[in-house]
Amino acid sequence: MTAVIWLAVMIACAAGGLIGVTAASEEEQGTRIENAFRGALQDRSSRSPEERMFVEKCGMCHRQMGMGTVLLARRMDPKQAMLERRTDLTADYVRSAVRHGLGNMPKISRGEVNDAELELISRYLVKNNAAIHSRRWQERAKPVRLELDD
Amino acid sequence: MRIAELREFAAIVGQEWVMADEDDRAAYSDQFAADESRHRPFAAIAPASTEEVQAIMKVANRHAVPLWPISRGKNFGYGGAAPVVKDSIVLDLSRMKRIAVDAENGTVLVEPGVGFFDLYDHLQDNKIPLWLSVPGNSWGSVAGNALDRGVGYTSYGDHAARICGLEVVLPDGDLVRTGMGAMSDSPNWQLYKPGFGPSWDAVFCQSNFGVVTKLGLWLMPEPESVLGMDFEFDQPEDLGWAIDTIMPLRRDGVIQQSPSIGNWLRSAAVMTTRDQWTTDKGPLNDKIIAAIRERFKIGWWSVQLRFYGPLEITEGSLRVVDKAFDKKPILSRKPARWVRGDPPEGSPVTGVPVSFPLANANWHGGRGGHIGFSPVLPAKGSLALDQFKRTYAIYQRFGMDYHASFAMGDRSLTNVNQILYDKDDAAMMQRVDGMFRALVADAGAHRYGEYRTHIDYMDLVADSYDFNHGALRRLNERVKDALDPRGIVAPGKSGIWPARLRKNRS
Repeated sequence: MTAVIWLAVMIACAAGGLIGVTAASEEEQGTRIENAFRGALQDRSSRSPEERMFVEKCGMCHRQMGMGTVLLARRMDPKQAMLERRTDLTADYVRSAVRHGLGNMPKISRGEVNDAELELISRYLVKNNAAIHSRRWQERAKPVRLELDD
Repeated sequence: MRIAELREFAAIVGQEWVMADEDDRAAYSDQFAADESRHRPFAAIAPASTEEVQAIMKVANRHAVPLWPISRGKNFGYGGAAPVVKDSIVLDLSRMKRIAVDAENGTVLVEPGVGFFDLYDHLQDNKIPLWLSVPGNSWGSVAGNALDRGVGYTSYGDHAARICGLEVVLPDGDLVRTGMGAMSDSPNWQLYKPGFGPSWDAVFCQSNFGVVTKLGLWLMPEPESVLGMDFEFDQPEDLGWAIDTIMPLRRDGVIQQSPSIGNWLRSAAVMTTRDQWTTDKGPLNDKIIAAIRERFKIGWWSVQLRFYGPLEITEGSLRVVDKAFDKKPILSRKPARWVRGDPPEGSPVTGVPVSFPLANANWHGGRGGHIGFSPVLPAKGSLALDQFKRTYAIYQRFGMDYHASFAMGDRSLTNVNQILYDKDDAAMMQRVDGMFRALVADAGAHRYGEYRTHIDYMDLVADSYDFNHGALRRLNERVKDALDPRGIVAPGKSGIWPARLRKNRS
């Protein structure tokens, strides 16, 4: 019964009358949302082409207060509800969810996200999956420092 | 069967943008439907430019191929991307994403693929102090939403009313610009709506007379302040006097947005699932309603009023509201205040796009969806109360959970009734269909018609517009046949059928 939605709320600052946004620290992100109609502002920034593609195509549902984030918070550790924090995603899983839908996520057409764009997005979403990265090390046969933000 | 035609389309848009495998066809079907195959298209083609759309029209005419234009295909609750006529070819305009903002005049010219988040990002990235008006699901297209007469929360919330100038590809491939755009290189295309002679913008809303490839829209300059008041009302019967208190302020222009007074399920359906409240199958009883209200600290009805502009004006407007509600039996009130320089308010009230309201598709657990039944009625409390009571009884009769709001327009009310369902529950889906038809009949008996409807019910709703034996439909179809003699653009949209396919009318 206590399905309080714990989600990240972005701390936003005003800069010269225009809206600027900075990300909250991990500690600040367990903010309780009392009123769903406030605090829905997303961080729309990105630091790589892969992340940029994710924000453009998926962010509206899978960043802060997105439909996907809200629903995933019901099914798993809310700290992992944002796809970017997941440590278990694989490219195949991402592709299947996008093309075939998953739960209340509709299928996404190739017109909206083509295969090349989907490839960029999956590369971004598997960044925290240590298993995939350790497999890559083995394949290369010379382990290097794990680079999460490739 | 139409492989030769697809090849011709591929010659225009490129092989990659002709999408016809099983996954493609499924992705463009109505994903809120129990049976997605009913409106499954044969394929989708995605042009990148107006010129490609024109070329596609020529080919479609040659082969009499029905096309179903979509902007971004997110019209969830109304059919999504899916065509009325099964095996149509979806004309997916989502690749057309150009944006031209005129910051000084507060206007934008968008192509159909531009979503609310795209336009929001564009305004933020370029530090343009203009605000959007967004719908509850802002995943969709700015142009598509305006053309389907979608609504938002700010004083620019009647999106179709803010359209100023279109570029349209006609079914024969001819290209027209409406309003002042009819004059080449006019600086007034996005500034003056009527143009010279007949005005055509409204003719391309909810119609199938052409394919809109550019849409001009007015945007709100960032106001100095947004002030308002959230009111909660304790009893179902409070709906009547609440509307009669607010409407005079709406009519005289003190309130410029459309306040929407809605019931307790609005919050519960987004924030929780049904099984958190009860395992009973029937409609939610009074005890559960009380528990929901207690949890969210809300009334039976809630409404948000908002004022946009200089503080001198918004503070004055709030005083007018205070006076209007003086001594009225409200349950509670809470002020809202944002002034330029404050941290962002962060909600659709200030034009922030959102998608979380769609979480209500998960109300029944499982794969859900919703369909809206939204008749228009006069802005009078007693009529709204009567409409509510009759509709509530129909929800009870069909065992569904009541989810409704009354949006207050300049002179009318739009009574948006959401029917939330579990698409994998066949018995429930039967009830939903029966209930929808009962609602149309009930509204029709009071001479109320819907403002917008799902692809399954376009003929049913068009039938209810019956003056002089359906004279409006006859007019629409005469225009349709004149502009689109081969019947290629969105046959069946809004109950308008081309001669060639008129036998398909349900």
